[in-house]
Amino acid sequence: MRRLLTALLPLACVLSAPAASADSLKIGVLATLSGAGTAWGMSMQGAAELAAEAVNAKGGLEVAGKKYKIEVVAYDDKYKAADALTAMNRLAFDDGVKYVVGPLGSAPALAVLPVSTENKMITMTMAFTPKALSADFKYSFRPVIPSDVFSDPQIKWVVEKLGGKRIGGLFPNDESGQQVGAANEKAYEAAGAKFVAKEFFERERVDFVPLLTRVLAQKIDVFELNGNSPQTAGLLVKQLREMGFKGPIIRTGGDATADIVKVAGKAAAENVYVHQPIDLASPAIQNYTKRFEDKYKIPLNAFSPFFYANLEMLFEAMRRAGTVTDTDKVRTALLALKDFDTVLGKVNWTGQAQWKSNQQLDAPFYVAVVKDGKPVVQAKCTPAKCQ
Amino acid sequence: MDFSTLLAQAALNGLVIGTMYMLMAIGFTLVFGIMRIVNFAHGEFYMLGAFSAFFTYAQWEVPFVFCLVIAALTIGALGALVERAIIRPFRNDELSGMIATLGVSVVIQNAAVVAWGPTPRAMPNVVDGVLSVGPFTFPLSRLVVIATAALIFAVFWFFMQRTRTGRAMRAVAQDADTALIQGIRVNTIYPIAFAISVALAALAGALMAPIFSVSPFVGLTPMLKAFVVVILGGLGSVPGAVVGGLLLGLIESFTATALGSLVADILQLLLVILILLVRPWGLLGQKEA
Repeated sequence: MRRLLTALLPLACVLSAPAASADSLKIGVLATLSGAGTAWGMSMQGAAELAAEAVNAKGGLEVAGKKYKIEVVAYDDKYKAADALTAMNRLAFDDGVKYVVGPLGSAPALAVLPVSTENKMITMTMAFTPKALSADFKYSFRPVIPSDVFSDPQIKWVVEKLGGKRIGGLFPNDESGQQVGAANEKAYEAAGAKFVAKEFFERERVDFVPLLTRVLAQKIDVFELNGNSPQTAGLLVKQLREMGFKGPIIRTGGDATADIVKVAGKAAAENVYVHQPIDLASPAIQNYTKRFEDKYKIPLNAFSPFFYANLEMLFEAMRRAGTVTDTDKVRTALLALKDFDTVLGKVNWTGQAQWKSNQQLDAPFYVAVVKDGKPVVQAKCTPAKCQ
Repeated sequence: MDFSTLLAQAALNGLVIGTMYMLMAIGFTLVFGIMRIVNFAHGEFYMLGAFSAFFTYAQWEVPFVFCLVIAALTIGALGALVERAIIRPFRNDELSGMIATLGVSVVIQNAAVVAWGPTPRAMPNVVDGVLSVGPFTFPLSRLVVIATAALIFAVFWFFMQRTRTGRAMRAVAQDADTALIQGIRVNTIYPIAFAISVALAALAGALMAPIFSVSPFVGLTPMLKAFVVVILGGLGSVPGAVVGGLLLGLIESFTATALGSLVADILQLLLVILILLVRPWGLLGQKEA
């Protein structure tokens, strides 16, 4: 009897699995949905779900005369390479997904990109590592602008405008933290300032007072927050201000403004300069922000619209390519989009010179200062210069 | 900042962190001593305490003293329920009990994400401003933590030493069977002990919430540190948890201030290994027969 049951088990599983409707198109999400990077992961999942909602509200995506309902399948990688790889394998082999919003972190990205490339899956990554885009990863796209593009012009602007000479910073002690720390030090020194205090800490740490005591003992003018998760950045701002540091604090790095203000409080967040990927005054962004915040009840992370824009482009590329299954054709159609109108405004593709892959989204970015809890844009930037 | 200010600052930081570790470790070690359960969900009760303080203090603006009382009572009651429903069936099975608490931890943490979202929330300080003594400045918010934690410990100690229930709890810790023969209701003592243990964690969470912010993931670090502390002080020993907690906080603060955080983390764990090698029962623990 038991043997019979065992034999029947796989059959039962197949039967009980919901029959995939021929007219549904699955979009995968592979991002960090728990732990300190959740704000970023939610921004990606939200983009996918809102994009799906918008398309489904119009009856679905029409490709080659057939209507497809968009379905979102999300997995949590816990910001770990091993979990990301498991999730990517599930997306590829169990779910049969061809398009993935993700991976998020640099280490997870490097772990999963070989798998997605081999299975011709189009991915939209948030990984800032230069290795996430290359001629080898033919299907890897990056909608967000990485720090090695935006940090140099922003740091130059900050050093010139604020006149800071002695810089201090704390960075997480792992591959990405070490890399960001080194890159930051180089950029500040190139701009004519000196990094006098650089400390590393384990990611789980929440009490930074001993380390900040060390940093402040070096009499710094400016504190740099780059490389820290949104929550950690907020705690650093709070504890720095509690210890009496009144100078400017710089966030060269992924958007964390909402969390910094939430954790540190409005008063402490005053005089924090942040990288601002989007123009909050634009109506399209305001509309998107409202949709996101109504649905998820959490503040919008500014990375989210970049993924939304990438999905808008992806859907258009499918329409033009006339297929949802042949990712080679979709990729070609996607790369052919020029001055395409998205939630971010008109965008293009760039990156050939830097990474030998023209799959980096090209959009302007901004430097803002936090005033009364809200970022106020101070300068508009291109990879060459902020003004 | 001159050297003496740096030292004083480091000592104060160490005491703040140390008192939190102490409160966490006392509860952790208490449950182990009495029930032989390693409670992996201890950190989640810390997190629930932090959320309780967030809602009562930051949103409903209840005076902070009452926020602490509310946190201790509600989370303590929840702890008693958890003991009755989930821990009791594994009373004589340490391994399964441990795994059950691991499950409780995952459930509580994820339920918190679902209910309150992953985004960290900030709380206003209980008192603002700094205390200036000569060249030293101490944030008042941190001094309050030390004073309150000391008070909480005093109440707990009095309870354990002077009340009937406290004595009964110590008797059960020494030998449950003999305690039972003496007429102590072990079935009532267990939930009370568990409730007190998690109430202490909740108090630690509520106290630290204004300083470290509140999110469903804040329980992880204190939980890990509680482990380290009980190894230092001796698993099952309350005085060991006090000494171990304060010691760990001070060591962490001084080494991090003097040598940086990475060296501090290395030294801390080296110390743990050393203790395990030389005195596996901890500084104040009892050698098992």
